[in-house]
Amino acid sequence: MPGVAARYFDGQSAGRHEVELVLDEVGGQLVFDGPTLGDGPHHWPFARLRTQRDQARKGGLTLMLHAATDDEAPRDPARLTLNDPGSIARLRRLCPDLDKRDLHPGTWGRIVRRGALAVAAVGLILFVILPRMADTMADLIPIEREIAFGKAVTAQLEQALGAGREDGLTCDDPAGHAALARMLVRLTEGRDLQYDLQLRVFDHEMVNAFAAPGGQVVILRGLLDEASGPDAVAAVLAHEIGHVERRDATRHALRAAGSAGILSMVLGDVTGGAFAVFLGEQLIQSSYSREAETRADQFALEMLNAARVDSAGMAEFFDHLGEMEGGGLRLPEYLASHPPSADRAEAARRNADVQGATMPALGDQDWQALKTICD
Amino acid sequence: MATQTMAEPEKVLHGQYDGERGALLRLAVVTALLTTVTLGIYRFWARTRIRRYVWSSISDGRDNFEYTGTGLEKFLGFLMAVVLLAVYLGVVQMILFYFGLTLLGEPQTPEQAMLQSVAFSITFVAVLPLIFFAQYRVRRYKLARTRWRGIRFGAEKGAWGYAFRAMGHWLLTILSLGLLLPWQTWRLERYMTDRSWYGDAPFQQGGRWTALLPAMSHIYAGLFIMIGGGMVAGLLGQPESGGAVAVLGFVWLLVGIVVYRVKAFIYLTENKILDGNIWFELHIRATPIVSTVFLGGLMVGIITVLIFGGLGAAVMFLLVPAVMLGEGAVFIAVVAIGALYLLAYAVSASLVLVWILQPIIHQVVEAVTIRNADELDYIEQRGHDTGADAEGFADALDVGGAI
Repeated sequence: MPGVAARYFDGQSAGRHEVELVLDEVGGQLVFDGPTLGDGPHHWPFARLRTQRDQARKGGLTLMLHAATDDEAPRDPARLTLNDPGSIARLRRLCPDLDKRDLHPGTWGRIVRRGALAVAAVGLILFVILPRMADTMADLIPIEREIAFGKAVTAQLEQALGAGREDGLTCDDPAGHAALARMLVRLTEGRDLQYDLQLRVFDHEMVNAFAAPGGQVVILRGLLDEASGPDAVAAVLAHEIGHVERRDATRHALRAAGSAGILSMVLGDVTGGAFAVFLGEQLIQSSYSREAETRADQFALEMLNAARVDSAGMAEFFDHLGEMEGGGLRLPEYLASHPPSADRAEAARRNADVQGATMPALGDQDWQALKTICD
Repeated sequence: MATQTMAEPEKVLHGQYDGERGALLRLAVVTALLTTVTLGIYRFWARTRIRRYVWSSISDGRDNFEYTGTGLEKFLGFLMAVVLLAVYLGVVQMILFYFGLTLLGEPQTPEQAMLQSVAFSITFVAVLPLIFFAQYRVRRYKLARTRWRGIRFGAEKGAWGYAFRAMGHWLLTILSLGLLLPWQTWRLERYMTDRSWYGDAPFQQGGRWTALLPAMSHIYAGLFIMIGGGMVAGLLGQPESGGAVAVLGFVWLLVGIVVYRVKAFIYLTENKILDGNIWFELHIRATPIVSTVFLGGLMVGIITVLIFGGLGAAVMFLLVPAVMLGEGAVFIAVVAIGALYLLAYAVSASLVLVWILQPIIHQVVEAVTIRNADELDYIEQRGHDTGADAEGFADALDVGGAI
């Protein structure tokens, strides 16, 4: 049989067979035989011929057969390699399916099933199991440990905001602190709180306040500067006390500890992936915290009503916050960690309309002392 | 050794590597771009295609290796691993965090506060056995998907046994201050080699662990100089010169670690036997490979700087005129810059593969000699291995690298 030299491995042993092959265009097949081949000649139909992509060696073509095997791809283990450029060109013309990638039957079903299972498992752990566990553990944790953790968090916060200031950020004007203490008494009078509240003011221009685990509440000076009056500060304080009582900060830290690794694991470590991890984390954390914020607002309104502090101050504060946010790009609601300021202001206004008689949260003198607590 | 007593000329095979820098770079950049565009999902196919290229570059001058793994099976294995790991990691991380909170007291000093935050990140320990588990699974999967002359390589199951031993050996290595590192290297490699097969022919790891001790010399030298420098700085009150010596010692230590790994690889390869009568020689010294690592690393650094410098210049070149033209032009310029950034990222992510990994594989493959290769003809096929998780765990845990 005159033909082209080729090498054949039968897929049973590593022994090499030198063969000669011809392309039988009429029969639509490739025929090869060789002296060491016990069962030749072999006929390989063009329609079943396949090869591999991304090959480095030039000038050679390794052929294999499409076959129903339980291998990783539906391929027969035998291999036939030829180097004759003319035959390779003819084969490429004769076999349109040479580079085709075949799938085992039922592959799409497996992809869908596994994909659904993975999405369900990750969703279940992120949105059901971890939040539940975090809630349980936040209740189980001994209060003194929580306080210790909260102190560490507050210290870290002070360091981060202070950016290297040696004397720390804590404002310690005694008159200001006395005023703050009076405001706290006014709000919490007659209430049985789980935590001994520790109020601190940091000298920083950010308009914000934080509730760390274990009753640590931090107000930033910027908030005192921007607040329209003592009622607004009292509203913020009541809101933070709401977080403290519900152990939101502890819960949040526990949840974050659980979900941190999972997302980056799912999305891999690439630029696009890193961005997706960021978005995903925003999405999860914000859905947790929006809920917590809404509850803290409700708690605050209830506390203001009990202390007979006008919640119009709260509405003004949120209006002001909304104006300050208004300039920049707004995050869509599902990504923002807080509910829209306008909605929160509206809720406070509605509450103020039905509130009855109120008294300012602090007298003028105390309010001035509080405003200058950092001077 | 039957062939030698029959006094026939013993057949010898020499390794050959045909991969090229340009072709691999093109493949790596294209697959990296596709990976970014698909938010990371294409990475399984990217790794598959790069392995196909590298494997097909390796031959004995006639028959090349073949990588038959598929991207799809890696993706499916990954989905399976995600289910198990999501549950394990989520729960374990939170429990550890909880105990970190409850067991430690109130931090009095910055040191204690630091200790506490270290305790919070102790999750790493919970993942450690899984990392070793994944390492063995990767080796098994790669072998199961490698064929030469139509015959499959393969490895037995044994990932948990490996993870268990690796934990123990690392503990011993740390407790012995690194002195028992060669024992670890040899025992773990033997564990894997003695479970590896080519067709129906088993590999065996020969040699002794003590033979690896001299390869540690540069590690000791580096440590010695580093500690010496520290003592000069501390005891003699000369922080500048002592510090410089300590830095020199540290660099020496880094080089020493690479030297050790290369020398250990050479020794371990030369002491492997296939089917009891086929063995290997590696005609290479550590120096060229070590210099490939460091010079290649230098090249990667330089090219990365150039790429991102060029990107910065392109940003200026595109944005400044665009701002003058108005909003539409700015939008187009931003899109163009985004595309350029992705391209720059894809190229820089491919550099280690092209400038370090492939050159090393090239040198090693071309230095391999297979002795008594006639015996290869009698090796028979082995069965298909499902590949278990197809390195899904390794991918999820970020173990292993580009190939």
